[in-house]
Amino acid sequence: MQKMHKTILGYVPEASPLYEVHPFVRLYFLMVVSIFPMIIGAPEWNLALILVVLVLMKYGRVSLSTLKLYVPISISMGMLILLSYTLLGGIHPEFHVVFRILGFPIYYERIEAAVEVYTRILPMIFVMVLFLSTSRERDVLVAMRWARVPFTMTYMTAMALRAVGMVIEDFSIVRQAEKARGFDPHGKSLGYKLRQFVMYIIPLMALSLRRSEEFTKAIVARGYSFTGLKNVKRPDYVLSKYPFRTRDAVLILIITGFLLGILYLRYGLGMLTLEGSVTQRWLRQWLLGGAA
Amino acid sequence: MSAVIRFESYTWRYSRTKQPALDAIDLEIEEGAIVGIIGPNGSGKTTLAYSINGLIPRQEMGVRKGKVYVMGREVMAYTPAELCQRVGLVFSDPEAQFTAMTVEDEVVFGMENLGLPIEEIERRLAWVVPLTEIGPLMDKPPYEVSGGQKQRVALASVLAMRPPILVLDEPTTMLDPLGRRRVFQVLERLKREYQSTIIVIEHSLEHLIPLADHMVLLYYGKVLLADETEPFFERLAFLMEHDVFPPGVVEFFYHLKQAGEYPADAPLPLTVEDGTARLRELLGGKG
Repeated sequence: MQKMHKTILGYVPEASPLYEVHPFVRLYFLMVVSIFPMIIGAPEWNLALILVVLVLMKYGRVSLSTLKLYVPISISMGMLILLSYTLLGGIHPEFHVVFRILGFPIYYERIEAAVEVYTRILPMIFVMVLFLSTSRERDVLVAMRWARVPFTMTYMTAMALRAVGMVIEDFSIVRQAEKARGFDPHGKSLGYKLRQFVMYIIPLMALSLRRSEEFTKAIVARGYSFTGLKNVKRPDYVLSKYPFRTRDAVLILIITGFLLGILYLRYGLGMLTLEGSVTQRWLRQWLLGGAA
Repeated sequence: MSAVIRFESYTWRYSRTKQPALDAIDLEIEEGAIVGIIGPNGSGKTTLAYSINGLIPRQEMGVRKGKVYVMGREVMAYTPAELCQRVGLVFSDPEAQFTAMTVEDEVVFGMENLGLPIEEIERRLAWVVPLTEIGPLMDKPPYEVSGGQKQRVALASVLAMRPPILVLDEPTTMLDPLGRRRVFQVLERLKREYQSTIIVIEHSLEHLIPLADHMVLLYYGKVLLADETEPFFERLAFLMEHDVFPPGVVEFFYHLKQAGEYPADAPLPLTVEDGTARLRELLGGKG
């Protein structure tokens, strides 16, 4: 049986080629590739980016079933974007009316804009899923430390990541305790639930304050000081476990190369825009019959 | 042996309370000794622990009188960094002290704070990981392991800093019997192999008694009794008057002694093994 590593979003095999990549490269990939859809306007290129991410997931032996979780979110988000751009998009006499719903005009230009926005957001979600499926919280910290982010900041990030889990756990305990004493907001109005929410907030606040005090004592007792210890250079044992190899440097160069290439195509040559894209031509043909 | 910790007329009162948590106590703890500190809740046991490693007065508001000496120097004369290299503190709730994402990161945190070179960190890991039996956990998040494992991780993270004095504040309060036994097994190894000075604040006397060289009874801020373990438990009536509930075997022989069925000058057995042997002698004698 192959050994699996728990990641933020699930599990990845230890032998995954993506997991072998230095955490900083994975974080760099997330940060840089997430920008691509902001630069690229042509929907077909953004859809191609999704395809690339899917191929990478397959190559990295990431379970594609993770994506199933995001299908409802993606559909809801698409519907919301479409609604806000069309039905709630306002009256624009200068635009082309494709059809009307209950008398409201649905414009071609607004559908086009909705498609563009939606196909910009989708790849960002896929890139994020890829990152979260191949990285652990520790990897995020290693990446930050490798990038020479001051230890205090990485440590605060670690505590924040840790605190999220603790608050969720505490919330669950408090809720069980309230239920055990007969408090059940099930079936009550939203207003009632909101008013009663204070029952959760007060013990949660008290627990958080107590925990922060315990945290402080624990780290002080082990010699930690936010101002740093005098004459002590803090070694980074964890970072020493993640050697940055030539392959990682090459990958950074490739990702940067893609970013520069896309910037040049978009702003240097005026390519990758919605105007003149295959999707736009197809949409016009389909919705306007080539009239515009 | 010389006193490695010395309290001299030491008083600490938290700013939020009227009564002192520790009231003019005098106490000496010898180097290499294992000392059990017992007493009911609110007796000042945790205050005593925090006073040794400087969390009091550095992290608490209150009024301090008297002196606490650690390895010959007053606690306040040390910097926090110097003191944490001499006194390691393990808290009762291990989870509250975890801040790292993996057990390995948690264990190396203190060593990194001390500025130890990577090679030394690796050497100490190679020592502390088998000692506390946390090898298979190194890659896991510390808050996802069992209660007993959590406490051994907390212990390892302090031991790795190699403090000559180790203070454990109710280390087994949140553990099941198995977890409790595993923690005390580690302490037994420390006693046997490294002759460390260990102060254990604990309610679970059945594990503490076989380990401790000395016992101290703290009762609402006062040291009422401090002695070697055997003579300490000879004063069982006094201890029971002050809310100490000894293990069943000790109480059983105490009642036999009271009834004149156990020699008045014989020491009370402190462990089940010892008690079984004494009972065999008694029964054999009668038979």
